[in-house]
Amino acid sequence: MSVWSPLHPAQLVFGLVIWSGWFVLLYGGLSVACEFAPPPDKRGAVTWLNGVMLFCGAILAVLLSWLARRCWNAAPAHDDGDGSGRFVARIAAAVYLIAALAAFALTLPSVVLPPCV
Amino acid sequence: MSEVTNKPAEELHEELERVWGNKPGWGAASAVNHTTVGLRFLITGLGFFLVGGLLAMLVRTQLALPEQDIVGPELYNQLFTMHGTVMMFLFAIPVLEGAAMYLIPKMIGTRDLVFPRLSALGYYCYLFGGLIILSSLVLQIAPDAGWFMYTPLSNAEFSPGKGPDFWLIGITFVEISAISAGVELVVSILRTRANGMALNKMPIFCWYILAMALMIIFGFPPLILGSILLELERAAGWVFFDVVGGGDPLLWQHLFWLFGHPEVYIIFLPAAGIVSTLIPVFAQRPLVGYRWIVLAIIVMGFISFGLWVHHMFTVGIPQLALAFFSIASMLVAIPTAIQIFAWLATLWTGKVVFRLPMLWILGFLIVFVAGGLTGVMLALVPFNWQVHDTHFVVAHMHYVLVGGMLFPLVAGFYYWLPHVSGRMPSDTLGRWGFWLFFGGFNMTFLLMHLTGLLGMPRRVYTYDAEMGWGWLNLLSSVGGFIMAIGVAVIILDITLHFRFGRKAKSNPWNADTLEWATPMPASAYNFASLPDIDTRHPMWEHPNLPETIEQGHHGLSEVMYERRDIFGSDAITGKVREVIHLPTNSWLPLQTALMIAVVCISLLVKVYPLALVASLGVLFFALRWGWHNGAHPVASPWRDDDPVDPPLHSRTFDGPGLWGMVVSLMANGTLYVSLLFGWFYLWTAAPQWSVPEEAPISIWPLLASGLALSAAVLIYRFAVTQLRNGSDARLQKMLWIAAGLGALHVGLLAWVLIAAPLKPSDLAHDAVLSVMLYYLLLHAGLATIFTVLQALRVRIGYVSLRLPYEPVVVQPFWIYTLGVFWMSFAAFVLLPMVWEVG
Repeated sequence: MSVWSPLHPAQLVFGLVIWSGWFVLLYGGLSVACEFAPPPDKRGAVTWLNGVMLFCGAILAVLLSWLARRCWNAAPAHDDGDGSGRFVARIAAAVYLIAALAAFALTLPSVVLPPCV
Repeated sequence: MSEVTNKPAEELHEELERVWGNKPGWGAASAVNHTTVGLRFLITGLGFFLVGGLLAMLVRTQLALPEQDIVGPELYNQLFTMHGTVMMFLFAIPVLEGAAMYLIPKMIGTRDLVFPRLSALGYYCYLFGGLIILSSLVLQIAPDAGWFMYTPLSNAEFSPGKGPDFWLIGITFVEISAISAGVELVVSILRTRANGMALNKMPIFCWYILAMALMIIFGFPPLILGSILLELERAAGWVFFDVVGGGDPLLWQHLFWLFGHPEVYIIFLPAAGIVSTLIPVFAQRPLVGYRWIVLAIIVMGFISFGLWVHHMFTVGIPQLALAFFSIASMLVAIPTAIQIFAWLATLWTGKVVFRLPMLWILGFLIVFVAGGLTGVMLALVPFNWQVHDTHFVVAHMHYVLVGGMLFPLVAGFYYWLPHVSGRMPSDTLGRWGFWLFFGGFNMTFLLMHLTGLLGMPRRVYTYDAEMGWGWLNLLSSVGGFIMAIGVAVIILDITLHFRFGRKAKSNPWNADTLEWATPMPASAYNFASLPDIDTRHPMWEHPNLPETIEQGHHGLSEVMYERRDIFGSDAITGKVREVIHLPTNSWLPLQTALMIAVVCISLLVKVYPLALVASLGVLFFALRWGWHNGAHPVASPWRDDDPVDPPLHSRTFDGPGLWGMVVSLMANGTLYVSLLFGWFYLWTAAPQWSVPEEAPISIWPLLASGLALSAAVLIYRFAVTQLRNGSDARLQKMLWIAAGLGALHVGLLAWVLIAAPLKPSDLAHDAVLSVMLYYLLLHAGLATIFTVLQALRVRIGYVSLRLPYEPVVVQPFWIYTLGVFWMSFAAFVLLPMVWEVG
C-alpha cells in the first residue's frame, strides 16, 4: 500500500506534519522577514506580511480540509477484515481536520497584531 | 506457522526458562531480558526519587521560616538545581521507560523487546550517568544554575566550577538511555505484536507508549546538541552562546525548551496511558471513545512541540510570534480535554469498583485538572509576564507533573504489583499512604500558588519577614513533610506486601489486557506459546487464555536450537511475517556502557588522551556487538532446517534492524536539524553575528569529497539492488569499492577541515561550521567502517543471497550521510555565498 493511500497509517500523522511545517515556517519566516524587510510599525496589523500570513494560512486550511474529506470518503463503509483500514482512514480524516483548524488558528493573531513589534 | 507442542506444561516451562532465563550470581549483570531490565529501571528510579525527595525536604526546611540560614545560598542553589535535575532526568522519564519496557511485550503478546541488548545498554547508561551526576553532590561541586542551566549563568565565566560539566556530560550520558528506549519501544510495538493484533486492536497503553517513544526520538536530540555545544564552549572556549563572538544565550533557551516542553508530555502520555488502562478495568467496561483517545494522543504528540516558547515569553520576542505560541498552548488543552471526558464517560457508564489504584486515579483527575487550568492561565501572555519566575509557576509545574505523572504512576504500581510479586498490597496501609500524600501535596502546592501571586520569586534561598510570605511557606513546608510521610507509608506497604501480602489469584482485578495471561510473578519468557489476538479485550473474551498459553496450545511453543524466538508481524495488520531470533544474555551492553562512563569521567577531569582511548574502546565494543548478529555462530548460523514459513528475520530484507536503523536516523536527523536551526538562528538573531572576511572552507576539495561520497552511495545501493534481484555474485567486490570511495571522502573531508583557517574560539560562525564538519566526518567514517565489516562478513559467509539482511540495514545510513552532506553544503557553504553577494 502506498503511503499516499488514505488507508495507510502514515496518513495518521501527515496532517500534523504539515501543520508542524507551517508552524516552523510561520515563526521562522516572520523572524527573517522582520530582520530583512520589516514593515513600518505605524501600519499596525495592516501590512503585506500579515496579509501573506493570513492568505497562506487560509489556503493551507482549505488544503488540509480537502485531505480530511478525501480520507473520510475513502474509509470503507464496513469493517474490512481486521477493520484497520476504516480505523486509519477515519482517524486520519479527523487529524487532517484538526490540523486545518490549528493551521488557521495560528494565523488569526495576525489580524490584530503588528508583525515585528 | 509454528507447530503446537505436545510437551507437558512443566517440561515446556523448564525448557523455556533455561533458554530465556538470566545467568545466576554475578552473571545477572549480563541479563538483557525486558522483565529484568524494566524492573531495574523502576527500582533505580525509585532510589533516585528518594534522593530528589530528600533534596526537596531540605529546600522546604530552609524556606519554612523567613530569614533562616540553615543552608547557605550556595548550597541552596545546588539543592534546587539537583532536585529538578534528579526528578526530571533520573526519576520521571526513566521510571516510565522502565514501566513501558516491562509491560509492552506482555501487553502485545510477545516474549521480549526487539533489541534486548539495547535495553540493557540503556539501563547501564542511565545508572552510570545518574551516579556521575549525583557524585557531584557528594563532592560538593554540584551544578547550581537551575535545572535548565541557562546561559550565561552556566558558562565558564559565571560558573567556573565543575558543576555544569557534571550536568551536561551526565545528562547526555543518561539521554543515550532515553533514545535507546525510544527506538526499542517504537520498533517493538510496530513489528512484534501478537498475530492478528491490528493497529485498531492494540491496547490503548501501547498507543500512548508509541507516541511517547516517538516524542523521545524527536524531543531529546535538541538538548543533546545544546549540551554538546555548551560543553564545547565551557571546555574548549568555542563560541555558541556568548554575544561577543556572535553567539546568543537565547539559542540555549530555544534548544533546551525544544526538548523541555515536549518532555512534559513525554512524562504525561505514559501516565495517561496508565489511567486509560486502569479506568476501564475498575469501571468493568470498555474504554469510551477508543478512537477519540487515539486521535487525542496523536494531536497532543504534535502540538506539544509547538509550545516551547511559552517558557520564554519574557525574553523580548515580538508580540505576534508570542501569539503563535500562546494559541498553540491553548490548543493543546483540547486533546487533553478529550481524554478527560472519555475517562469520565467510562466511569459514568461503568460500575466502578473503588479499589486502591482507583483512589490514586481519582487523585490524578483532581490534581491534574487543576494543574491544566493554571496551564491555560499561563498560556496567556500578560498573565504569564506577571507571574514569571514566581512560586506560582513552581506550584503549577508540580500540579502538572506530580498530578499528571506521579499519581497515575503510583496507581499503576499498585495495579501491577501482583504481576511482579504474585501478592496483593494492603488496602489499609495503602489508603493511609494515599490520603497523607494527597493532603500533604495540596497543602504544599495549593498554597504555593498564593505565595507566588503575592510576589515571592522562585529560587531565592530566604526572604524578609515583612514580605508576609512566612505563614504560607510554613504551611507549605508542613505539607511537604506530610507528603514525605505518605511516601514512607507507601514504601512500607510495598515492602511488607512482598512478605505478608495475600497471594493474588489469576487476573486479580479482572483486567482485559494480555499481560494478565502470563504467570505471576512473571516468567522470563512471558508466554509459553504465543496466541492469536483478534480483540482489544482478550482476557474478557477469552478468559481461559492463561491455561491454553501455558499448555503450549498456541504459536512458537517449540524451542529450536536454544534460540530466543519471537514472532515478527506486519506493522498494520499484525499478521505474522517472520520469526525474530533475539540475542541471549550478553556482557557487551555493560562493557560498552563502562567505556562510555570512562569517556565521560575523563572529559570531566580533562584527561583527553584517555577520553580518546576510551572512545576507541566504545567503538570496539559497539562493532563487536554488531558482529555478533545474523548468521554469526552466537546468533543464528545458517541451517538446512531453518524455518521457511515464516522465515527467520535474518533471512529476509525487512527485519526489525532496518526499522531500528530508520528510527535511529530520525533521532539523528533531529539533532542535525537542530544544528541547522542554530545556524540560521544565530545568523538572523544573534546581536553581534559576524562572518570572516574570506570563506574559511575551500569549496572545490569539499565538492570533490561530496562526489566521492555520492559515488560510494550509488555503488552501495547498486549492490543492494542486485541482492534484492537475486544476485550476490559481485557483492563483496562492490562493498569494497564503496568502502574505498567512502575512505577517499573521509580523507578529503579531513583535509578540508585541517586546511580551513577556522577560529571557533573567536567566531560563532566558525564554531558552528566546525561542529558541522566533525558531524559529517563522523558519519562518513562510520559508514565506511560498517561497509568494510559487511565486506568481511560476505567473505566469511555471514552475508549472502540466503542471508541478505545486513547490507539492507546499513543502506539508510549511507543515504542519510549523503543527504546531510549535500544539505550542509547548501546551508553552510552555498547560502552564505549568496547572502554575501546579496
